[in-house]
Amino acid sequence: MDGLISVLTDNFDEWLAGFWVTLRIVVIAFAIAMVVGTLVAAFRIAPNKLLQRLGGIYVETFRNIPLLVLLFISFAGFRRAGLDIGPWEAGIASLGLYTAAYVAEALRSGVFSVSKGQIEAALSLGYTYGQAMRRVVFPQAFRTVISPLGSLIIAMIKNSAIIGVSLLALDDLLKTARVISARGFQTDEAFFWAAMGYLTLTGLATFTIRVLEKRYAIHR
Amino acid sequence: MTYLFDPDNWEWVITQNNFRFILEGFLVNLEIAIIAMVLSLIVGLALALARLAPWKPVSIAAGTWIDVFRNLPLIFIILYLSLTIPGAWPDAYEDAIPGWFPEGLQSGRVLAAIIGLVLYNSAVLAEIMRAGILSLDRGQNEAARALGMSYRQSMRRVVLPQGLRRMVPATVSQLITLNKDTTLVSIVAIQEVMRHGRIVTGANFFGGVQAPVLQVFLLIGFMFIVVNLLLSRLSRRLEIRESKRTAVGRVKRVRGLEEQAI
Repeated sequence: MDGLISVLTDNFDEWLAGFWVTLRIVVIAFAIAMVVGTLVAAFRIAPNKLLQRLGGIYVETFRNIPLLVLLFISFAGFRRAGLDIGPWEAGIASLGLYTAAYVAEALRSGVFSVSKGQIEAALSLGYTYGQAMRRVVFPQAFRTVISPLGSLIIAMIKNSAIIGVSLLALDDLLKTARVISARGFQTDEAFFWAAMGYLTLTGLATFTIRVLEKRYAIHR
Repeated sequence: MTYLFDPDNWEWVITQNNFRFILEGFLVNLEIAIIAMVLSLIVGLALALARLAPWKPVSIAAGTWIDVFRNLPLIFIILYLSLTIPGAWPDAYEDAIPGWFPEGLQSGRVLAAIIGLVLYNSAVLAEIMRAGILSLDRGQNEAARALGMSYRQSMRRVVLPQGLRRMVPATVSQLITLNKDTTLVSIVAIQEVMRHGRIVTGANFFGGVQAPVLQVFLLIGFMFIVVNLLLSRLSRRLEIRESKRTAVGRVKRVRGLEEQAI
């Protein structure tokens, strides 16, 4: 038991740094995923057939390729091709673009969940298309999108661990656990605290989503 | 762009055994995926039933188990198992595995990878199955009980056949994720597609032609895309056939499940 506590307290600064790296990867990658995902979703619901196809190709490509392969392509692949890309940029871009495909799908089904009559009613009340979207469709779509986006954040927290152990070797939570366990042969203890770190992050995300869901639930 | 499409950079594919070597690695991934899929579905159903059991202690224990393994990174689980699994287990596995099994699976290291994949995916699948079963109208179970069926009979004959049908789309997305996640086992030093890719891109492996990293892993990514697209096509086919056969029209989808599988 003493060993368990001391593994945490003796290396506290390292743990904190690892936790911080994981958090930073998730936050930045999620921002990228939201921006790109919204763009792709807009492509997919655009009235133009070509744009729809392009959006579809993006989603099918990034959803069906393993994240680890993306990391290899974006880091080792581009480097060998002569592009000077650092592990941070490659890792965050890969995770962000990978999740963007899922974000696009979530947003698209969110917009489609608002019935057509809503837009028609808003337009007939004299709203412009932009106003109807902003005041009627988006607030309703937002509600249905909260829980899928929440699951995506949780998935990102888990997927961020792949960046740490792959050849990019960012010093995230899992990498820290590996370093500390190798140093003192305290594998169980080190991995226990890393697990606590990940469960704290996913637990916090789950809790926040529940609160948001409750707040924006439709009261009938 | 010119680098990407330069024929010199694709020459490695047709040089000697390079392509076959990558493909062999990819087959190992598929084999691991199939074994892990079957085991995860079985364990996942058992976990879901335990979670829904009318006896509280069992339900709470199963729920905690599911929540822990669902929320840990898969690569974390695989790495931990590979470091701490007792040395006797892989030996026992190597003794127990039948000789006709593919060569890639003969090594004892595969054990940690498969256990890790099953621990994680069975927890996710259990949650999907539970939601599928819970989405069913309560009246179904009550009616079955009122007709004199026992809890087990009602589960087997009424609740499970309907509940499980609803979770087919979400399950398939999770199986696609599992298929992608087999690349993670490369950290346990199993000779699968990622390893083979790195070997090929290492110094002049076959035929003195240097294989560029970018092109090798683009090809590997393409292989995954093809197989995963086939998987999702297959599930759509199944759904249509099933709804025709049972004449219930479109199977109702369970909301908020598809997103579980990432």
